[in-house]
Amino acid sequence: MKFFGTLKSLKVTPVRNMLEVRNLRAGYGAINVLWDVSLAIAPGKLTAIIGPNGAGKTTLLRAIIGLTPVTQGDILDEGVSILNQPTWDRASHGLALIPEGRMIFRDMSVEENLMLGAYAKQNRATMQGNLERAYAMFPLLLARRSQMAGSLSGGEAQMLMMGRGLMSSPRILLVDEPSLGLAPLIVQEMFATLAKLKAEGRTIVLVEQNTQGAVKIADHVYLMQGGKVVLSQPANEVNMEKLHQQYFAR
Amino acid sequence: MTELIFQAIYSGLLQGGSYALIALGLALVFGTMKVINLAHGELVLLAAYIAYAVESAFNVSPIVAIPVALVVVCISALLVYLLVDRIKKDRELNSLILTYGIGVMITNAILLIWKADIRSTKSAWLQDAVVLGPFYSMRSELGFFILSLVLMGLLWWWLSKSWYGRAVRAVASNRDAAKLMGINPRTTEIVSFVVAGILAAFAGVALYSYGVIQPPLGHALTVKAFIITVLAGVGSIPGVLAGALLLGVVEALTVTLLSSALQEIAGMGLFLLVLFVMPNGLFGTAARRG
Ligand SMILES: Nc1ncnc2c1ncn2[C@@H]1O[C@H](COP(=O)(O)OP(=O)(O)O)[C@@H](O)[C@H]1O
Ligand SMILES: [Mg+2]
Repeated sequence: MKFFGTLKSLKVTPVRNMLEVRNLRAGYGAINVLWDVSLAIAPGKLTAIIGPNGAGKTTLLRAIIGLTPVTQGDILDEGVSILNQPTWDRASHGLALIPEGRMIFRDMSVEENLMLGAYAKQNRATMQGNLERAYAMFPLLLARRSQMAGSLSGGEAQMLMMGRGLMSSPRILLVDEPSLGLAPLIVQEMFATLAKLKAEGRTIVLVEQNTQGAVKIADHVYLMQGGKVVLSQPANEVNMEKLHQQYFAR
Repeated sequence: MTELIFQAIYSGLLQGGSYALIALGLALVFGTMKVINLAHGELVLLAAYIAYAVESAFNVSPIVAIPVALVVVCISALLVYLLVDRIKKDRELNSLILTYGIGVMITNAILLIWKADIRSTKSAWLQDAVVLGPFYSMRSELGFFILSLVLMGLLWWWLSKSWYGRAVRAVASNRDAAKLMGINPRTTEIVSFVVAGILAAFAGVALYSYGVIQPPLGHALTVKAFIITVLAGVGSIPGVLAGALLLGVVEALTVTLLSSALQEIAGMGLFLLVLFVMPNGLFGTAARRG
């Protein structure tokens, strides 16, 4: 009787898309921002979403994690709709958003901020190891571990959010403009970190206005404009000149 | 005269312990839910009357009433939460009206059940004098002051070392970021109401054990708790404790030097003074808010 064998062979259908967004509409109350956005995020790859200011990139990531309400369409995680899961459930099940702006716990210490990244029950056992990894990745955070997070500079806060996002060992990392407002040297460091995370086999969705840097480390590129996806291309086929023309076209 | 002043300061400090417990509950709920629970003082008073009821019904020390007060006040706090949670529009404003109304209802229920008379404990043991050097207090005053310090120590430990406590602080600090960490803000709201109820229950039994209670006291306690949180400026435990001790001392000095009729006015005066001179409170700095 080889029951288990048969059951196993039924399960081999490979998951082609880690995350899939289908005809998504989302916005803020009466203002609709995303118009039928569809994307497919392959596992273990880095997908870059680029586009000018106001294109709806942040809104898209917020909709994926559940902070911005969706009015139409679907979001699938490994083929299963997560649309009616609240943000905290999506976050506990392997999605992590490293948000734009200073979404930190200002009146808690740097270390407490990092620890909160491991809040979900299944991540608490691995917290110490992940904490050490975060400090190894961002030694500056180690030096500031007992300082209030509100006292960090913009770049340090960005590192803190990145470290905090990794504390849950997420399957899918959604990163929103990590280079925004950072000094050029730190921007390079940030891209190097992302490349390293990709090499570890993590699935990454990177939103960037720094087109050059993003395309260089990406596997696939989406261009967004006015709340729509206007281009979808493997990164090695992207022609930077053409991309820039399209980027600034209205 | 100086002896009287020092004695007043000592009594005021002891009174501040209970004030701090009350104010911390108010601050905790405000932190997670951004709701000022105007029925908070009435919950404290409810605990005080439960102590009175248990004492007179079973002829036991009011201290025995603590478990009963804990259960009743925590359930009442949860009912307040459930009602506030039903507000879907303009919660910050509408919750003020709602909780104010709940406070009035609790006061009236207390009036109906226990009448308007002034009540105080009959326990001689609690009222025995304890002399510490030049200072005099009742056993209950000193005992409950020490207990309030212990409770604040436990609260500090819970807020900084436990996962639920950290979640409460995270939600108070940045609600959306807390959701990203996998925290359900509703759970932390319920937890903060329950913890506020626990602190209120202890404070209520304390007030009955060393003082006099009557139905209008609940409202006065809410006002005091509000004054203390504004005095403190930040929702930190040491800040609230310092604000509470200051209010206790100012009230006691007013009663000793001027008149007991001015006790409530003195708190208000202190409140206005701090608002004008230090708008961010005694410990808040402009940069830390917002
Ligand atoms: N909280 C909000 N309320 C209303 N409109 C918003 C809000 N946030 C963003 N928008 C609008 O949504 C559009 C897309 O914004 P966003 O997603 O932040 O773009 P991007 O991240 O690509 O710069 C913009 O027109 C912006 O004005
Ligand atoms: Mg953006």
